[in-house]
Amino acid sequence: MSTTDGTGSQQMLASALLLAFVGSGGVVLVGFFFPSFVGQALGGQTWLVLALVFFGSGLGYLAALPYERIRPDVSSESSLLRIRRGSVRAVLSDIVSVHDPVTLGLPILVFTLYFGFQFTFPGTTAAVVDGLTNSVLRGLGPVLLGTVLLSVGYCAVLLFSAWGDVKLGGEDVEPTYTYPTYFALVFTAGIAAGIVFWGPAEALFHYRQPPPYFDVAAGSEAAIGAALVYALFHWGISAWSAYAVVGIPIAYFVFERGAPLRVSAILTPFLGVDGLDSSWSRLVDTLAVFATIGGVATSIALVSQQFLAGVEYQWGVPPGGLGPVLFVGGLAAVYVLSAVSGLHRGIRRIAGLTVVLFGLFALLLLVVGPRSFIAERAPTALGAYVVNFVPMSLYATGSWVTEWTVWNWAWWFSWAPFAGMFLAALSRGRRLRTVAFTSVVATSAATGVWFLVFGGTSLSIQHSGRADVLAAIAERGGSEAVAGFPLLSALPLGDLLLFLFLALIVVFMVTSADTSTLIAAILASRRGVAPSRGSIAIWGAFQAAVALAVLLVGGAETLQALAVLTGAPFAILALLSLSGLSLALYREERGQDHTSIVRQAFDRLPEVQTHHDVEPPDRKQ
Amino acid sequence: MIVVDSRDEAGERPFEEVFYPTDRVPFVEWREFSGAKPTVALTAAVTVLAFVTGLSNLSQAQPVVAGPLAGVLPMAETFVRFAGVLFAFPLGIVTFGLRRRKRLAWLAATALLPGLALLPLTTGRTTEIPLLLLILVTFPLLVWNRERFEQTLDLSSFQIASLTSILGVGLYGTVGSYGLRGQFIGLDGWGDAIYYVIVTIATVGYGDITPTTAEAKLFSLSVILFGTGAFTVAIGALIGPAIESRMAAAFGTMTASELSLLEDHVVVLGYGDVTESFLERVGDETDLVVVTPDADAASRLTDQGIEVLTDDATDESALEDARVDVASGVAVAGDDDAENVLAVLAARNVNPDVRIVAVANEETHVGKLDAVGADEVIDLRAIGGQLLGASVLNGSADGTARDDLLGVSVTGDRSDGSDDAARNAEGT
Repeated sequence: MSTTDGTGSQQMLASALLLAFVGSGGVVLVGFFFPSFVGQALGGQTWLVLALVFFGSGLGYLAALPYERIRPDVSSESSLLRIRRGSVRAVLSDIVSVHDPVTLGLPILVFTLYFGFQFTFPGTTAAVVDGLTNSVLRGLGPVLLGTVLLSVGYCAVLLFSAWGDVKLGGEDVEPTYTYPTYFALVFTAGIAAGIVFWGPAEALFHYRQPPPYFDVAAGSEAAIGAALVYALFHWGISAWSAYAVVGIPIAYFVFERGAPLRVSAILTPFLGVDGLDSSWSRLVDTLAVFATIGGVATSIALVSQQFLAGVEYQWGVPPGGLGPVLFVGGLAAVYVLSAVSGLHRGIRRIAGLTVVLFGLFALLLLVVGPRSFIAERAPTALGAYVVNFVPMSLYATGSWVTEWTVWNWAWWFSWAPFAGMFLAALSRGRRLRTVAFTSVVATSAATGVWFLVFGGTSLSIQHSGRADVLAAIAERGGSEAVAGFPLLSALPLGDLLLFLFLALIVVFMVTSADTSTLIAAILASRRGVAPSRGSIAIWGAFQAAVALAVLLVGGAETLQALAVLTGAPFAILALLSLSGLSLALYREERGQDHTSIVRQAFDRLPEVQTHHDVEPPDRKQ
Repeated sequence: MIVVDSRDEAGERPFEEVFYPTDRVPFVEWREFSGAKPTVALTAAVTVLAFVTGLSNLSQAQPVVAGPLAGVLPMAETFVRFAGVLFAFPLGIVTFGLRRRKRLAWLAATALLPGLALLPLTTGRTTEIPLLLLILVTFPLLVWNRERFEQTLDLSSFQIASLTSILGVGLYGTVGSYGLRGQFIGLDGWGDAIYYVIVTIATVGYGDITPTTAEAKLFSLSVILFGTGAFTVAIGALIGPAIESRMAAAFGTMTASELSLLEDHVVVLGYGDVTESFLERVGDETDLVVVTPDADAASRLTDQGIEVLTDDATDESALEDARVDVASGVAVAGDDDAENVLAVLAARNVNPDVRIVAVANEETHVGKLDAVGADEVIDLRAIGGQLLGASVLNGSADGTARDDLLGVSVTGDRSDGSDDAARNAEGT
């Protein structure tokens, strides 16, 4: 009975979402085609709401669709029903009993305390956190820079050495996720809407205020090159390595040593699998939950404000006091549905859609944008990136580096627990080489192309004077949120690009938030208990509550700074885990018959070698 | 069989339930998105979008002509103004034909879509980019699925004759009035001739073109008589069979053309005590046809929306009508075991490879049904007895024994049932 009830309500939800999608889509379509008839009849805010309902119900429908390969799961359906039917008290005790009290309680306590302080002494709290952040980032700046460079080096070692041949879960395990799925999930989980906002903005900021490493004048021809190189640098292999060096040790210890899937698995070489119940590992997991919820929730709040600010700038639609709250609520509904529906349903489908939209947008931009400018600048920037990579990574003088590079690395490291753990969880049946390639090379290739195309376009438009994007940013108090709007309006097919731009912001935010919800639910569950749908939903709701509190109480930037601060301990943990992983790989995998990719490549070329052996006289000449 | 593994170790590695719910998760289910049904749906979407785009173009005082093809295409403005709507109407008919897997509809669609793609390329408006993108997706899918649209039009000789006569009258009228143009007021060229014939046959007769001589008047009269006659007959010939098939469907008999669309369906031979609950279990998952000579049962099933062929289930020709040759399975479920044996034999004759599951009402008939070619025989009494026993002995675990038996016996006749059977077996 429970199965039929569960699928029945799911089908009802799916058809209701489809109805909302088609209905709002129809109205949006009519407005799109007949702006003169309908456009003025409905107000700007109505259009905004309709467009968002269109996005949201479409994504929700994707999540609510059943997965065709497996029947609805009987056990989870019945647990969902039980929660629905039980009293509030029974539900609460159920939920508390499957959670780890420390990892559940501490983050909630910290967030409550923070909001209490923020509410009563907003000025003092902000000053204290800012001071703390500044001193930590300044003090630990060189450590972070070194860690990131080391991470890149370690990924290169895994990529090319015999260690890369280790297959997670044993030689006979086949990967569950096909490669495109794997890439899409890893890529979209690790990146939130930042890539969409910063795509046009990052290079422009460096163009206005060139990085001190390149000694060039602001706004000059040379500043264009410097700006592109630094945009590539901040979003390239260094950044993605942060996820890999947290994720790969977790994956190795989970699938090869049987450690439980949590961030604290990186402590396995020091504590042993049985020692992972210790308070140290709980501390690590709690910190990971805090970093995840803090990082993603503040991103949700900031993205909502930026989204609405951008819409206000472009179309003059004021968000009103309730706007951001409603936006966060809608976003939360979509990502909770996606997380609850499961990895193979909502999360996979929305990730796939995100990658497709991302590619489509980049392609469209390349078609209508300044192609010759990009074709001319991109190879130069790539070359300069390769040549200057090591010196840029070690360049540590000046406050500019602290504000941009160090802050950026700390930010990526603060997302590393959840992105890394997600990467680890998906990697069963993959070789370490493939994991490193996907999480560092493939993903940074995607972001690299994005920043070359989008950043190149914005620099070209700004430099040639077709649109003054920097003035628009300055007018809005230096917010990167508005950069995309004047830029895209200056291009052919601007309306379509803007529509896609807004859709991309929403999907990128959803794909990170649903994954982080899932990971937080796993981290906070007791060992040996899979998070139920109810507990995933509660973590999603908690994340949304933090985002809403940030919006209502204020201090989003301050809380984000606090979350970013957790990047520093994770960078140090990553260093520890790398040494532990090296030790484990050295001990365990030495006797095994692993071959490096270089050796494999050489083995494939026997003819070339014999050719040289047989005919040496040719070469002498 | 990862599903089974993760359940065994549920206590230790719970995350596998979350991260490895099945043993393969592809990026996109290509089969879901690339088959004939999505093609038809996309064509329908193109039709709607073409209509809306066309209306949008029509509503403008001055059509925008700024696309890359604007200079190349003759009469670009007229084309932009009318093309969307004028392409949408035939595309609507084509979509209907594609739904019935007609070859002619496929050919028409491959001709219409590139023509429609000219519209966004001529106007170059932002609002028409979605149409272009949609066509760019639909067209390759249409070509990819060309083999799925193989149904011939199957016009009766009467329909062919009436269509030909309309064409004949049209030609006769056009060529004739063009030849007699000197004896008409206001008829100067081919365009006028076509206009005159259509206005005349449709009995509108604006009167702006009028015959002046006796010869021209007689000619016009003949066009009116033949034209309206052919038109009326053609409508009867084309619409009549559709109404007929509706009526026939209402009486519980599928028409030959409806049956010919079936594929990978399950044929149920005979109507017995188990049929209702069987249909309840399988009904939503696959297409079904029930073959039974029992008219009462047939009308009852038709009311429930189940396809019924009112015919003798032991007759090979009836089974051929029910497309047993392309069915994915046959369930023999009559109340009379002798009929069931004959039905198994008949089904085996029509399709030697199809999976046949038969119900044995008497235990002594299990072997006989097996011997005549049933792949699996379900002994109703034995199952009932075992259930009774299991239920008495193991009251707390109620349902599991039943699920187990049901799982094995019902899912056994679906080609992809092995997974479910394994899950069920594992569940006990």
